[in-house]
Amino acid sequence: MISCRHGYDADVRALLVEDDPTIAEFVARGLREAGFAVDHAPDGEAGLTAAVATPYDVAIIDLMLPKRDGLSLIEELRRRGITTPVLILSARREIDDRVRGLQTGGDDYLTKPFAFAELLARVQALVRRATRAPEPTTLTVDDLTLDLLTRRVTRAGKPIDLRPREFALLEYLMRNAGRVVSKTMILSHVWEYNFDPQTNIVDVLVSRLREKIDRPFEKKLLHTVRGVGYVLRP
Amino acid sequence: MSSDPKLVLTRAFGLRIALWYATLFVIGAIAIVFVTYYLTKVSLEQRDHQILQSKLGDYASVYARGGFNTLAAMVRAEQQTAPERLFVRVVSRGVEAVVLSNPNGWDPSKIETATVPLSDGTLVQVGKSTEPREDLLARFRAALGLVTLLVVVIALSGGWLVTQSAVTPIRRLTAAVRRIIRTGRTDARVPVAGTRGSPGNNDAIGELTELFNVMLDKIEGVVAAMRGALDNVSHDLRTPLTRLRGTAELALASPPDLERYREALALCVEESDRVLVMLNTLMDISEAESGTMQLRREPVPLSEVVERAVDLYKDVADVKGVTLSVQSSPVASGSSRTSTPVASGFSRTGGDTDVVVNGDRTRLEQVAANLIDNAVKYTPSGGRVAVEVRRENGNAVLRVRDTGPGIPPDELPRIWTRLFRGDASRAERGLGLGLSLVKAIVEAHGGTVAVESEPGQGSVFTVLLPLG
Repeated sequence: MISCRHGYDADVRALLVEDDPTIAEFVARGLREAGFAVDHAPDGEAGLTAAVATPYDVAIIDLMLPKRDGLSLIEELRRRGITTPVLILSARREIDDRVRGLQTGGDDYLTKPFAFAELLARVQALVRRATRAPEPTTLTVDDLTLDLLTRRVTRAGKPIDLRPREFALLEYLMRNAGRVVSKTMILSHVWEYNFDPQTNIVDVLVSRLREKIDRPFEKKLLHTVRGVGYVLRP
Repeated sequence: MSSDPKLVLTRAFGLRIALWYATLFVIGAIAIVFVTYYLTKVSLEQRDHQILQSKLGDYASVYARGGFNTLAAMVRAEQQTAPERLFVRVVSRGVEAVVLSNPNGWDPSKIETATVPLSDGTLVQVGKSTEPREDLLARFRAALGLVTLLVVVIALSGGWLVTQSAVTPIRRLTAAVRRIIRTGRTDARVPVAGTRGSPGNNDAIGELTELFNVMLDKIEGVVAAMRGALDNVSHDLRTPLTRLRGTAELALASPPDLERYREALALCVEESDRVLVMLNTLMDISEAESGTMQLRREPVPLSEVVERAVDLYKDVADVKGVTLSVQSSPVASGSSRTSTPVASGFSRTGGDTDVVVNGDRTRLEQVAANLIDNAVKYTPSGGRVAVEVRRENGNAVLRVRDTGPGIPPDELPRIWTRLFRGDASRAERGLGLGLSLVKAIVEAHGGTVAVESEPGQGSVFTVLLPLG
């Protein structure tokens, strides 16, 4: 069972190493609202001190930092045997930077500007991977159930027939139940496309899915968050 | 020119070459002069010697036949008429030497003599003046000296001229490089010396000059492309940023209203997403156009690319009521063409008959997706979009046909231009960058794009790529 937002205790500790105060503030606030305990370090040295002193569950590290850059910070953490999963933030989108970041010991990579929804999803995926929570075989949101093994979807006990893409989209939304997912995230998870098509492909698929899981029922589960994306919540 | 201290370098270089040239030339000439003089001198001496020897032979045989008196008579008669009078004397044992001929004014020190002993111990001696010979050699020496002087003059001036013509292109090249460094202007070119120099200027320096110009062309192209890209990006971002700012400003200026604020914020997020997409696309286009796009090349079957792009758009096409189909005919024979509606599955052209290009898979997917996007967007309900992959004249061909409204002839050449949006397309959502990106990516892969369109009939977009 996946519940909205409170999948993690406030015990989940995140370290944010970011020098831009505005970005740091909105990321920290967003993570706290999602139930994380967040420490913020404004430069690489402060980040290193904090990471050495406290065992964090996840670290979000910007690459361009004063005093000690992000890559060198990650390198130093790994050298000291600190295995905290790291999400790298960078303003550069070159593939080489991404490769270098991941080789140095980063676990995931996000390019600025990013949607906060995407950052949250990635951070939670890293925590989940690290804590090795058992994979559920059934996803449930309210009276909507998706069986990952039999690939059956039911709502209020009635079976719903979904096409493969619709199933993939619903699975992704249910795994992220309660969290907003952006169109870009859907595009890269459902189609594995990593560029922006010019047309509203995602809108079309979402409205098809909505037609099947929401329209015949009074209570709506799939909501559009204007300008941000979609969210599945009871 | 001479006021520039750096020119001294090339000057000195030229002078050094000229001096070397002249020195070698002069040494060679002097050696030839000396050998010539020596050989002439030796051969003149030998001739004189032979004359004396043959006279001695004559006189010895006369003496042997007729004794001293006959010889004396013969010598006197001969020397009266001879053009060049010789010194002749006979020395018998115990007798005073008898001088038979002694031409006036002869300096004994300038006489070369030859002697032959006869059977009775008598010596016959013949002498010849060396003066005419010395005279000749002296005049010869004077002539040779003059020649040597001329050679030196010619060598120096010739050396200077030759070096000048060799150094001038280098100097021009240096001056051009210096000008470019000083002014930062990359449109300067080094004049290629071919009109008066060697024909075809395929010598080393001509080649260097041409290569240098080619390099400047390339640098200028890259710089211009980057400058253009920067200008374009800053220009193109102004409009969405104005919208962004305007939306926020309007919301702030209006009376507090939560719904209105939410609406404005949502618009701001959407607009900034659009700015980001635009920025990424513009960067992609300028990278592809300037040749700095990193292509991860691998053999890519075009049918796979098309399959994925069609898969992406089939729902959109369905909703719009447009039939999106794939025609695959890997071999360029029109009759074997098969048309497969997407709904019933895409039949992949198999194995070695597949059309494979050596390219960046993601970028090629972008090309196919953008072309299909474009076609689906402009094709009205009930229309058809057909994607075709085939081999044609040694090229891989990706063709997208639609039954849309077509493109007016006057707009055709401009559809590949950045941010150009035809009258028909203004109503549609989009950035106006899709086709420019297609063109840039295809050309970065060494391919070409083309479009044919008939207003009212639809359009055909064709991408030609070299087979991998």
